[in-house]
Formats: sequence, structure tokens, C-alpha cells
Amino acid sequence: MMKLTNRQFRYETTESLKMALFQIRANKIRSFLTALGVIIGIVAITMMGTAINGIDRGFDKSLAMLGYDVIYVQKSSWSTMGQWWRYRNRPDIKTTYADQINRVITANPRSELAIAVPQSSTYQASAKYRDRNLEQVFALGTNHNYLQTASGDLSSGRFFTAAEAASDEMVGVVGDDIASGLFPNEPALGKFVQLKNRKFRIIGIFRKQGKFLGLFSFDNQIIVPLGAFERVYGKSMFTSIRVKIKEQTRVTEAKEELLGMMRRIRGITPGKEEDFSINEQRAFKSQLDPIKNGIAVAGIFITGMSLFVGAIGIMNITFVSVKERTREIGLRKALGARRQTILMQFLIESVMICLIGGVTGLGITLFITFAIGQLLPSFPIQLSFDLVFASLTVSVITGIISGLAPAVTASKLDPADSLRYE
Amino acid sequence: MQSLCKFYEMGDQTVRALDSINLEFGQNDYTAIMGPSGSGKSTLMNILGCLDTPTSGLYELNGQSVAEMDDDELARIRNKEIGFVFQTFNLLPRLNCLRNVELPLIYAGVAPEEREERAAKALVNVGLGDRIKHKPSELSGGQIQRVAIARALINNPSIILADEPTGNLDTATSHDIMNIFGALSEAGNTIILITHEEDIAHYTRRIIRLRDGKIESDERR
Repeated sequence: MMKLTNRQFRYETTESLKMALFQIRANKIRSFLTALGVIIGIVAITMMGTAINGIDRGFDKSLAMLGYDVIYVQKSSWSTMGQWWRYRNRPDIKTTYADQINRVITANPRSELAIAVPQSSTYQASAKYRDRNLEQVFALGTNHNYLQTASGDLSSGRFFTAAEAASDEMVGVVGDDIASGLFPNEPALGKFVQLKNRKFRIIGIFRKQGKFLGLFSFDNQIIVPLGAFERVYGKSMFTSIRVKIKEQTRVTEAKEELLGMMRRIRGITPGKEEDFSINEQRAFKSQLDPIKNGIAVAGIFITGMSLFVGAIGIMNITFVSVKERTREIGLRKALGARRQTILMQFLIESVMICLIGGVTGLGITLFITFAIGQLLPSFPIQLSFDLVFASLTVSVITGIISGLAPAVTASKLDPADSLRYE
Repeated sequence: MQSLCKFYEMGDQTVRALDSINLEFGQNDYTAIMGPSGSGKSTLMNILGCLDTPTSGLYELNGQSVAEMDDDELARIRNKEIGFVFQTFNLLPRLNCLRNVELPLIYAGVAPEEREERAAKALVNVGLGDRIKHKPSELSGGQIQRVAIARALINNPSIILADEPTGNLDTATSHDIMNIFGALSEAGNTIILITHEEDIAHYTRRIIRLRDGKIESDERR
């Protein structure tokens, strides 16, 4: 019999919304102080999420630079980086493995692997042109197939050819930073850049790729034929075999196949542990998980604390509000407001305070991320829609939780008594 | 209502605020309930207004038994059947007259445009057509009580219950308000007035006197 009509519900909710806005506007300072906990909580949660998002995105970007579909045969494993003592007695990776792998690949059309490319490299090269000098250049010796296993295209010139690679021509393809660093006012193409005591003719320039977190860049690399590299730096530099796989989704199978090949090449008897590692991007990415988890735990803790404190504050102030407005509640009941109506009115009020806090928090986060973006353009930071949605949901839930007890109290007030309340 | 009782537990004593009251109010009755404080007239008013339920006994309003209703049903009865006028006016101070008057209509589920129209009309009827956007703080006591009367009338209730409606007003204004009640009675409304002032009670056609929770006298004039 007492079925609440839809229309009635709508009008009452509208009325409650209006009253809540009224109430909040009438008690601006009180509402703001009450919402402060929620504001801090939302700033914490969104900043945390933004930081994690940013790290993920930055990493994906740099992984894309490395190439998703490339796995690496190397002396040590990426996933246990830092434990160099485990790998120091392993024999070096030889550049000739690439040819051996390629022979197996071509003999087997069902192979998961596409092509193997050797590379020898150093991070400690210095590049010179006349009186200009660039330190900590990433010098890399490889063959003409390198571009098949790497992202990045050329902004001008060309990569070296098979013939140039085979005859160890003294030519090089340089990153954008090297081109602009050594040749700020003139075209770099055709000029000679000096590595140690050898001069290389620049035949190509890579398009600028950017940095990840300002830590690592492909824009300061210089790529030369492998033989030419060894002529400058010797054979004992850091060597790895880049192996492109055919199907990005079948990394595991490809690794399995490559592992078998390498065991045969190395002559490792079954049952013995291999003395090389096969690396892929995923392992690299998992290195970041502890950092991300740390941020997440800290963020959730701060968020939880401030929301908890905020919720208590809102509960407290809503109780005060119920007390202050006892007569109003009595009057509304006398005029026909049902329990549910009163309950909704106070719930809506606390939810609205929380929502205002949440939106304010989001605004602050937006401002902070914008400021960071302006100050540190290379720092990957982004506020996602998911985060906005999540923080608004959290605000609403906080509002409901903190408003529920006072709202129930209000709804149960006796109308006759509350009308007489002074 | 028949053998209506309301008991309160006060410590180990039971207070018989209302003791076996039998009363009937007819359509268009204009009644004053009188009695000294503690006589039970406020309790009777609360029960008549469905703000409270009797401990025992029967209360029928338009043939509906009220005694066994739950809170929400009582709320509906209050909304539809009863118009309250209070001694302390009880307007919401931050709302203007129009918004105060339309409040019962919100709970009745009336659409906004119709609410506004009816509320404005009700204010015109009590002579406040030029004050509909004013807030209670901008009005005199008599004007505020007229707003409250407009609010009480807005849902065309079966009973208008006025609890000491002139208690906070000076004599001249009290007479104004009583004239409004008189006009309402002539227009066919059922009015129950609670007062302790003899001269106010004499505006009505029936005076019920309570003492110690019992009816002392019930005279019609």
C-alpha cells in the first residue's frame, strides 16, 4: 500500500539535492574542513595511480624502442640483474652464433624465429668531430640486418648495406643527439666522426626517439659494421645476439626453440644448466613491479588513512547537523516525509560533501600533474579516466559509509519529540 | 476515537497522559481543546496529528484505523489528511515562503510546476500574494503564521490541527489569525485548535476541556 511512486522518489531526491547544496553553501567553512580528509585522500590515490600509469607508459614506450618482438641471447639474465657473480664465469657470447642460428632458421621453415643479428656494444664510447667531443656515447657494431630487429627509422641518409657490412667499411649511422651535438650548424651527413683514433663517415641519421625518464636514450647511439667496431674496440666488448621472432604472441615458444639451438651450439649436454641467458622485454618489465607495488602500497595506505579520518569527520559533522536540525526533521516528518526521505536527505548531504571533496582533489591532482608536465616534460605522467572514475566512486562510498549512521539516527527520530526539541 | 489511552513510563510510575478518551469530530467541526498544562492536550494533539500512536484504543480517521499503522503509513496520513499549524510557526528559515508552503506537496509527489502554482495560490488566499519570495526572517509574526496556515492548507487536509497558533502573537495579530480560522471553518474545513486562552477558544463552536488525561467537559455552542 505504501509503495513509493517513481515520481515521488524523483521529487524527493531533487528536494534532497537542493537542500544538501543549500546546507553546504550555508556552512561553507565547515563543509570545506569536513571535506579536507577526502580531498587529501583523493589527491593521494590519484597521484599514486598517475605515477604508476606514468611508469608503465614510459616503460612501454622505451620497450617499444627496443622492439617487442626481439629476444636477446646474452651472458646474463635481465630478471636477476645485479647478481653479476652468477654469470661472471660464463663464456662470452660470440658474434658468430648469429650465423649459426640463421642457418638453422633457414633450414627449418616452421621455425618461430625470423632472423638473428649479432651486436657488440659499449656505453663508454666518445665521439669526436674537430674540437667537439661527446662522451658516454652508445657505440654498437652489427650487420646490415640490424634494422629488422630494432625500431627507429632514419630521418636522412641510409643504413649500411650488406656489402659495406661484409667489408667492414668505416661508415656509421648516428642518433639525432650525436648529429645535432657534433654538428649543430651544418648537416652531419657525409661528415666524419671519430671514435678513438678511427674516423667513420656518417651515412645515415636516426629520427629522434626521446628518452625514458631521462635515463636512457637511443638518440646518442652510433651504429657501425661489426668488423669496424671490433677494429676500434676489440672483440671483448659486450656482445649479444638479437633474435627477431615471427609472432609476437609466441614469445615463449620462440624462447624455447632458441634455447635448444643455443644449447646445441654451445654443446651443453642434456641435464646441465645452460651458460647463457635468453632475455626478453617482459623480464625487464617485471623489474619495475617492486617499485610500482611500493608506490601502490604507500598510496593506498595514505589514501586509506586520510579517507578514514575524513569519513569520521563527515560522520561527526553529520551527527551535529542532525542534532542542529532536529526540529526541521520533526517538521518534515509532520508534513509527510517518510523515514526513507529523511535518510536520503542526510545521505545525499554527506555524499555530496565527499563528492565535492573528490572533485576538488581531482582538480588539485590535475593541477599538480600539469605542473609536473610543464617542469619535467620527459617525465611520463597522465591522469587516466579510470582513475577519475575510481576516485569519484571512492568519494561516493566514503560519503555513504560516513553518512549512514547519522542518517539512520535522523530517520528514526520521533516526530512529536523532535518538534518540541529546543 | 474510542477509549483512547496513552501511557508513559516515568521511572517506576506509569503516567496516564490520556485515560480512556472517547471523542468524535465531525466534518466542519470547529473545536478548541483546552486544559491546564499536564492535562494531556499536547498528547491528544500528537495522536490526532498522527505524530504519535496511542498505547491502546481506537483512532479512526476517515474510516481508516490509525493506531496500527507503521511510520511510513502515518507519514502519508500526516501528509494527506492533516495540516499542522504550530505555536512556534516552524517554517524553514532558509527557504522563502513559496518553498516553505510547497514542502508537503513534494512529499506528496506533485510536479514542480503544479507545486509552485498551488503554493502561490495558497499564499494569495492568506493575503500574502506579494510576499511569496520573502524569507520568514523578513516577515512579521502574524505573516509567518499565515504562511504556516497556507502550508497547512496546501494538501486540502481533512483536519487542520493548530497547536497554540496564537501563543507567540500579540492580541491584535491573534485576532487576525483567528479570523482566518473562522473563514476557513466557514469554507467547510474541520479545525481543531489547542489553546489555553479562553478568548481564543471562544472563536470556536465547540470547547473540550481536559484535566488529568480525562475529558472534563465537551460543550457545543
